[in-house]
Amino acid sequence: MTSAAAFYRRIDDALANTRVRQALASTMTRLADRRTDALASLPDSDALRDQARRIRAHTIAHLDRYLETFATNAEARGCRIHWAPTAADATRIVVEIAREAGITLAVKSKSMVTEEIELNAALEAAGVRVVETDLGEFVVQVGEDRPSHIIAPIVHRRREDVARLFQEKLGARPEEVADVAAITAFARRTLRRDFLQAGMGISGVNMAVADSGSVCLVTNEGNGRLTTTLPRVHVAVMGLERVVPTAADLGVLLQLLARSATGQALSVYTNVISGPRRPAGSGSPNAGEPDGPDAIHVVIVDNGRTKMLDGPLAEMLYCIRCGACLNVCPVYRHIGGHAYGGVYPGPMGAVVSPGQMGLDAWSELPQASSLCGACRDVCPVRIDLPRLLLTLRAQAAERELTPWWLRLGMPLYAAVATRPALYQWLGSMAARVAHGVARGGWVRRLPGPLAGWTASRDFPAPARRSFLQSYEERRGRTERPS
Amino acid sequence: MTPPKDQVLGAIRHSLRRAVLPGAEATPPRTARVAPADRPALLRQFEQALVALTGHVHHAASAGEAADIIAAVAAEHGARTFLSWDGGELGCDGLLEALASRHLTRVAYDLAFDAAQRAGAVPGLGDVILGLTGSDAAIADAGAIVLVSGPGRGRLASLLPPVHVALVSASRIHPTLPDLLADHPELVARGANLVVIAGPSRTADIEMTLTHGVHGPKHLHVILMP
Amino acid sequence: MQLFVTCLVDRFYPGVGDAVVSVLERLGLDVIVPSDQTCCGQPAFNGGFVRDAAAMAKQTIDVLTARPDPVIVPSGSCADMIVNHYPELFQDDEQYGPRARDLAARTFEFSQFLVDVLGVTPPACPDGPRLAYHASCHGLRGLGLRDQPRRVLHAVAGDRACDLPDAEVCCGFGGLFAVKMPAISGAMLDAKLDAIAQSGANAVVATDVSCLMHIGGGLHRRGSPVRVLHIAEVVAGDRRD
Repeated sequence: MTSAAAFYRRIDDALANTRVRQALASTMTRLADRRTDALASLPDSDALRDQARRIRAHTIAHLDRYLETFATNAEARGCRIHWAPTAADATRIVVEIAREAGITLAVKSKSMVTEEIELNAALEAAGVRVVETDLGEFVVQVGEDRPSHIIAPIVHRRREDVARLFQEKLGARPEEVADVAAITAFARRTLRRDFLQAGMGISGVNMAVADSGSVCLVTNEGNGRLTTTLPRVHVAVMGLERVVPTAADLGVLLQLLARSATGQALSVYTNVISGPRRPAGSGSPNAGEPDGPDAIHVVIVDNGRTKMLDGPLAEMLYCIRCGACLNVCPVYRHIGGHAYGGVYPGPMGAVVSPGQMGLDAWSELPQASSLCGACRDVCPVRIDLPRLLLTLRAQAAERELTPWWLRLGMPLYAAVATRPALYQWLGSMAARVAHGVARGGWVRRLPGPLAGWTASRDFPAPARRSFLQSYEERRGRTERPS
Repeated sequence: MTPPKDQVLGAIRHSLRRAVLPGAEATPPRTARVAPADRPALLRQFEQALVALTGHVHHAASAGEAADIIAAVAAEHGARTFLSWDGGELGCDGLLEALASRHLTRVAYDLAFDAAQRAGAVPGLGDVILGLTGSDAAIADAGAIVLVSGPGRGRLASLLPPVHVALVSASRIHPTLPDLLADHPELVARGANLVVIAGPSRTADIEMTLTHGVHGPKHLHVILMP
Repeated sequence: MQLFVTCLVDRFYPGVGDAVVSVLERLGLDVIVPSDQTCCGQPAFNGGFVRDAAAMAKQTIDVLTARPDPVIVPSGSCADMIVNHYPELFQDDEQYGPRARDLAARTFEFSQFLVDVLGVTPPACPDGPRLAYHASCHGLRGLGLRDQPRRVLHAVAGDRACDLPDAEVCCGFGGLFAVKMPAISGAMLDAKLDAIAQSGANAVVATDVSCLMHIGGGLHRRGSPVRVLHIAEVVAGDRRD
């Protein structure tokens, strides 16, 4: 099946699932409303967003410099820095780290970039058991499912689904999964065992800080802290665009991140990590700390980001992965996260997937938008998503990744529309044809590729005389160029 | 064979030649600060925000008062032992002694750098119910506290047990996180870990139903001291 | 003043063009309707067919810059195209760049023109159908038309008018999107039609006939008696029964 046909199939499947659509819609509404309230409670959220945009824009414009500074400073704090041009490089690096350290069990805090590189599969193949620890991601993993929203990964699952899953796959007793509190407590107990035994913790990076060589990770559940504190080895996988120059810059972005995502002032745990601990008396940074990992590896991943940077899509790298655009997108509301394919759904996914992975496999995604602009309204760094979608559409048209009838029809339409007399005459012809098939002024079925319109609505027959035609007749006064 | 670092940085430099970056300025942006509010107002804001997150706020003026509060919390949760920062780091002289005299036993731990020894030491800590720490700052608008790790300032005390009690000095309250980080950027690199804690651990992943105590502590008690 | 009537109004809703002319003439303005106008090129532009869009844009610029008069457009999306996208399309073009910028500076959507340029309040018309307002996206977010259409609508209809529930959520037209992604477009339309039913309105009002064509087509398919009205028709006081 072509990628386009597969996409349409996923759309149809998603639209058929009314229960999930309702759950998704109410989640999105709640998150979007909370975002509105949270921003309103800031003294000047517009100024803050402008500031955040300036920070991201400046950083990306000097990305090589800031990444290098980050790497140097992180190494000075005792981290090992690895550079991964491709997904395969990244997984190879992490598998090698695990092998060298004799790791058999790894706990993981959610990271979109590790989904991009399909890290879990690579580690499992190398004999490392990987346990997802965010409650939603844990449920996805146990259910061998896929997340459907980057902030609310199991919005598509009911409580009863989760209870049944835990009983079937994890041996939970019915009373242990009787309600949401019980299910959560069960997950906590189960995962705590893994946290305490795992030799490696794997996390993403929400944002790195160049001047201190730190990585920042935010979670609400605390699994981010446990993952990056208990195991002796911490591997942080980082998209190469996720850096800011200073701690003050980090503060500005953090002030917007949780508010934009869920309406919280801050995530419950904002974790800034500046190197592994070192033995007491060693004279190194972090000497004598009683806990925390003994080794930290940061894997900086490209995987198509420099491709997206190379041209008019570069603005997409400002993204801080808050998910606010998802929560207001009317298309996403109806088709949910799975339909988009790829790792990132919604408006940002429609840009990132083709931008990073290439338009050939992803040319349909940018078409799945009415360009309403709600996403741009809520983006904390004011990314002009509709403009980026238009850019991708222009690239698709240039590469002829468009339906045949548009490739033929659009230049024809332009040729007609630049010839006013022909335009009016053809318009009258079309009106006559339409009135031939219309009932009471309405057409119930349009032909060929236009049949999509009449799948769900009637089409009004055009007026027999256009406005310009009747105006000219009635007034005799349309202006003619002299 | 180009080293991967040069590959990545080279790819970035190459792409930057054609990158379209609206709003990018040559100089790093400056952070504008929030107008400072008076301390009592900030403390009220902090308290309100933390209580809204289901945290608890207590007030104490001495080690004895603090110890009474902690003992009460411990009793409520059936805790006889606790993980803790060292006495000198708590910011309340004599507190550990006061707790000992109330029959609360501090559990010390030594996570050795040896993998096997570390693996042996950790699981035992999983049963301790109470954790006690000091703090480095508080953030008013988010109802959050800031803890920096260091010698004698372990992370596990605020992470493993289901109940976390934190001592916060009212003099260290700041209006917002961006203000704190702009005014004290050195906090970020003072230790291996800086954590900003805004209430007890929570999730709404299942049917958007809010539950607390998923992985981190379920109960957060802040004792405000002068 | 020049009227850029737009391709959809010209061909499908000529009555809207009449309403605009009628309103402007009642306000004492001299309305010129350039005869060689066709399409602003937005459908091509939104589809990524930049060359075709530019050809139509040049045609439109030629027609509308033959005179220096302001241009009034009974469509938020077409006005958005001219105001925001024409200068962008021709920013490096020595000939059309300055002309596009000049045209952009004097092009207005209909309600925007009444409120922001003329500063007039249309007279109240207390009797009539219950009207529910749908905020067309490009006008709302591209041109910032948050207040103007509502002010005009409330001036005329007072309590008879209200916002639809979720008035600012896209109706699902999206140009070619309606035909290329019909399932999604249909789902978005259903949500809008449900909101209309919930509102109890007799008619839906918007600044763009593109939305109205899509919504109206859906209402007709459902057998609903609810009509669609362009804001100019509300101001002109048309009674189409």
